Amino acid sequence: MTVAQVRYHADPGLQPERTSLAWGRTMFALVTVSLLFLRWLPVYGWLPAVLIVLTLLTAGGVYFSQRSRYVHGGRGIAEGRVRPDIGAVMVTGGAIGVLALLGMVVIIASPLD
Amino acid sequence: MKASQSSPGQPAGGDRPRRHRVTDRVLGGGEEPDPRFTLANERTFLAWIRTALALLAGGIAVEAFTTEVFSPEIRKTVAVLLLLLAMFIAGGACFRWLNVERAMRNKTPLPLPLIIPVLALGGAVVSAVFIVFVLLRDG
Repeated sequence: MTVAQVRYHADPGLQPERTSLAWGRTMFALVTVSLLFLRWLPVYGWLPAVLIVLTLLTAGGVYFSQRSRYVHGGRGIAEGRVRPDIGAVMVTGGAIGVLALLGMVVIIASPLD
Repeated sequence: MKASQSSPGQPAGGDRPRRHRVTDRVLGGGEEPDPRFTLANERTFLAWIRTALALLAGGIAVEAFTTEVFSPEIRKTVAVLLLLLAMFIAGGACFRWLNVERAMRNKTPLPLPLIIPVLALGGAVVSAVFIVFVLLRDG
């Protein structure tokens, strides 16, 4: 499988491109959430910093895997079979579940003001 | 989405790397479906994940930016409800992705999305809490 074959896969539905863009939108949503956590920094101490780092790490993981993801999708379309990215799905879903859980801990542990 | 070509597919297992065999077991065997369906399932998962992120952002925003509007009790209640919903939707999105992938590989009917009623009910509960609060405050 040459680069040209990956680049010029025969899918007029542009599935690899749309999938990469969907991951890109998710990455931007993660960055936006990390910016919102900044608002908690002066109020709740160090725990929001952990949330910001976790959010940005997840977003960074998406960013740095984008190129290989597009190549993987294009190759899969060309070969007629693509291996589902179970690792990326579980890590992303798990990270957001943990973010929500830690967010609840921050809120519940803080005294009512 | 409509398939215009059939998937050749390949039997699972054999002399493939260990990582692939583990993945095959998690995915419940079967054959790889049309690659476009696998990618479509991934995009649907991501749409659910962005829904979870929107709920997460909403929860943080309610907690952080409404100190002048709502009492601390109602602010924290609504924020926790939204974050709880975000957690369930994120987890449910993973299970849904896996169940759809398994159904496609084994050529069985796709499962119903159970996270839709969870999202609808959760949204209704959060809205009801706000409505009750606004009515009580004005009264």
